[in-house]
Amino acid sequence: MKENDLKTLDDKLREKLLLSRRVEGDRLMLADAVLNAALDGSRPLSAGERAALADSPLTLRRLRQLSIDRAAAANTWSGSAGMLRAASSGGIDALATDDQHWALHFVPQGAGWQVILKLAADAPFAPQLMREQPMLRVTDGGGAIVLQGRLDADGECETAWPFDTPPAQHFQQSGARFAVEPVRA
Amino acid sequence: MRLPGTRYQEHGWEQVRKLLGLCSLAAFAHTSPGRLLDPSSRLDALSEYVEHTSGALRAAWRSSRAESPGNSYGESVLELALGLLFELQARPADWDAFAAAVDNEHQKIGAFWDQAGGDAILRKKVNDMYAVLRDKVDSDNYQVACGRNCSPNKMYAYRMVDTAYGDIARIFEAWRQHPAQVGAILGRGVDAAAAPIEVRQMKSIGGCKPEWVINWSESRERFTGAAGPLHTKSKRFASLKNSPEKIGAMLREIGDYEELSSNRDCDWQQDGIAAAGWLDDLARVLDEAEPDPGVSPTPGYIDLTGAVRPMAGDSLPVRLAVYLKMLGAHDDSYPVEWLDPATGELPTMQQLAAMDQVSLPTLRKRRDAAIATLLGAQRP
Repeated sequence: MKENDLKTLDDKLREKLLLSRRVEGDRLMLADAVLNAALDGSRPLSAGERAALADSPLTLRRLRQLSIDRAAAANTWSGSAGMLRAASSGGIDALATDDQHWALHFVPQGAGWQVILKLAADAPFAPQLMREQPMLRVTDGGGAIVLQGRLDADGECETAWPFDTPPAQHFQQSGARFAVEPVRA
Repeated sequence: MRLPGTRYQEHGWEQVRKLLGLCSLAAFAHTSPGRLLDPSSRLDALSEYVEHTSGALRAAWRSSRAESPGNSYGESVLELALGLLFELQARPADWDAFAAAVDNEHQKIGAFWDQAGGDAILRKKVNDMYAVLRDKVDSDNYQVACGRNCSPNKMYAYRMVDTAYGDIARIFEAWRQHPAQVGAILGRGVDAAAAPIEVRQMKSIGGCKPEWVINWSESRERFTGAAGPLHTKSKRFASLKNSPEKIGAMLREIGDYEELSSNRDCDWQQDGIAAAGWLDDLARVLDEAEPDPGVSPTPGYIDLTGAVRPMAGDSLPVRLAVYLKMLGAHDDSYPVEWLDPATGELPTMQQLAAMDQVSLPTLRKRRDAAIATLLGAQRP
């Protein structure tokens, strides 16, 4: 048997055992602030706090929840930014964010343009965004809203280009930057 | 009602309770309740009860009751019933309380389980046990989920407040039929010609005023013949009756969480996230802490380095029985040589007993002893 499998199995069994311990009359023995400080390493537990944690399965389960919350927060996307690269003389077809997770496509339509926001399928947060469908917003360097909406099933969101000036010229005039962000409720 | 971490407070609970009652009676056909009368055999009886009840629950799989949703987090009635059954196993004090209730009844009327109508009495006691247990489990899980203190009594109080709101909403809805009761709840006269503004404004539990809950309870006897929960002779909610600010905070908390949880997937889905992650965090937190003078390494302790193997003194069938019980028949980490080639899963308890050349009850005993040792070694 592979050593790795055994380690995984031991971890699974140990987790199950740790989580299934119950102590009659158990309660939260340490405040979240104490547990969070121990998790981020800013203040280690004292001997008394360590004993309190060890004797209270409920507090241990709270530590687990905080650990999971921290891991989830680390994986949560909070926004991406991009720049207008070269000052192209003509128009632009597309822009990408610096992390390459988002693209903005510009498609001529009638006298104006359609602007399409596209999420890269391999973005680490793609499954979460596709599941949660948050309201998204694209802003230019001056903070004006270029597009706002939710992704469709293809990971896209589109609207008519809202400005009079063409995309390339508009971005040049507004800081040559843009950002894609979730809209906070 | 939904609160952070709670799983047993929604309408599906009725079905969970009924399923557990049904399967408990099936289990007691194998394990006589008479065994509960002797304190020395109670723990063994618990182990057998859990085994038979989980068997009956799994057999009920695919019945419409077992498959129906038990809460709005996507857990079925069967999953919730199994979850509560395993909680019971981890809390022998609750089993003792149940055994004491059976003993008490037995002293009054004898072996009631063998008498006509005895099933109903037994079932009532099972119901009582699980009713207490669900509030213990949910108040624990509430604390784990949000880091605020709670107790089974507080959980019961949340439910009372939620039920009160439901009844008030129903009365408001039919304000034309109940103008006097609406007036009593609002604490003022109600004009039968137009809907009171409060009736139109209360859109959710968050919009319900604590004074209305108190007035509703106070006037309930007058309108229904039964005293309201804040105004019964029982002292249970005596302190709450005079604390509208506490009731108001509970109404708001239930309302806020219902709004939040209806907008996103619930936290329970995170349970599958890598076990190793938080175990690594735990190891680090313990490692960095000031040493605890009360702790010395326990023999057989599951060392994170893998240096000491768990259950080193147990036979392979006993070890597999432990895995079977704790992790289930199927797990991706099981080595192929452990699996029954016919099923691709761990052998059944019967097969393991045959492998170990012992009886099934003996294997169960050895397995439970191994789990108890492991649990005892889990003080990190």
